[in-house]
Amino acid sequence: MMRRRDADERSYARFAGLHGLPLPVECQHGTPLFLPWHRAFLFFFERAMRDRVPTATLAWWNWATPDEQRGTVPRLFGDQSVGSASNPLFSAPVSQRALQQGEAGGQPAPGPSTVRRPGNSGRRLPRASEVRDLVETRDFRTFNARLEEMHGQVHMWSGGHMQLIPFSGFDPIFWAHHSMVDRLWRLWQIRHNAPGPPRELWDQALPPFPMTVAQTLDVTLLGYDYASSTASQPVA
Amino acid sequence: MERFVSDPLVVPAAEKGYEWSSAELLIYGVDHSGPSYEVRVFIDTPDADVQTPLTVEAGYAGCFTVFGHGGCFGDDDHCDPNARYSDDYDVRLPHQSVPQTKVVSVTEALLEAEGDAVQVTLVAVEPTDDGPRASDAFKADEVRLVTYAGAGDVDPQEEPGASLDS
Repeated sequence: MMRRRDADERSYARFAGLHGLPLPVECQHGTPLFLPWHRAFLFFFERAMRDRVPTATLAWWNWATPDEQRGTVPRLFGDQSVGSASNPLFSAPVSQRALQQGEAGGQPAPGPSTVRRPGNSGRRLPRASEVRDLVETRDFRTFNARLEEMHGQVHMWSGGHMQLIPFSGFDPIFWAHHSMVDRLWRLWQIRHNAPGPPRELWDQALPPFPMTVAQTLDVTLLGYDYASSTASQPVA
Repeated sequence: MERFVSDPLVVPAAEKGYEWSSAELLIYGVDHSGPSYEVRVFIDTPDADVQTPLTVEAGYAGCFTVFGHGGCFGDDDHCDPNARYSDDYDVRLPHQSVPQTKVVSVTEALLEAEGDAVQVTLVAVEPTDDGPRASDAFKADEVRLVTYAGAGDVDPQEEPGASLDS
């Protein structure tokens, strides 16, 4: 996807830009649509991935961190190279149009390719105990607000492009971060046996995606789920 | 603003002699059109700043994060929610620049406080390559301290607020 031309609607740059720059900024924050909109976003991004590799799936970054640790970027995203090749999950280019609009609007990107400054916020990643408490939250609106706050803390902790709405979608770790957010919504749904968003929102469309809130409520109807555990062994 | 120090906010339950189990600070009208920043909440620590330890002993109560839009990249009025005409037939999503409400649980810090009223200090901080530093990106309309009764407690009726404009 990163090799496709930016103008191609299947390109990485096109999806990354839907969240922020280039205009229009489509993402939903601070509203009850935060979770449904980002679930639709992940769904169509993963469809585009599968157009290239049919077995491809998004991975989640489990940023829930033991109390005694401050947290780190997983090596999958933090290593600059894989063998002798550069790691495409370490950094990705920001589209020229996004860079130009950022400059013109007085918010230049931290660089033409994504960078991170993990921990510069002076804070730590969310504690595992905090994440467990979050999933126990009964009221969906409270859960939604607390999860969005936790999500914002991870953006801030990551630093660099990730702490800026206009450019965060270009960082490959963005997708793993939001998969974790989406996973926590799924865990909340299982824990409380409820979909979450209030009924009056279900018919709401989620532009630019051809999907309503109702269509985001059950991940199994979207063809995916989050594994509780895995075990594997190479077959010689 | 980098810091906001409230007037003494009455702890409604304490004033009325009610029991309470949890407390929240609600911050209304939070602007998120600019850079990303964090706001640290302190109770009865009016001189708190970016260097103040994040401990209950130092009055630290919690924080909230503003994932900011980074400015306006459109033409005139692009990020002004009031520039949009809306009526009953408007099916568009809410304008993205509508100010937000933030909620911070302050139970633990409020339990440590003494008296029937507390001062709330908000300190805005942004991360930089040299670590966190004070930020002037924070704008909001009002803070409100709310206590909640637990089982068997009595729920107070009044919730005092403080305007950030005062």
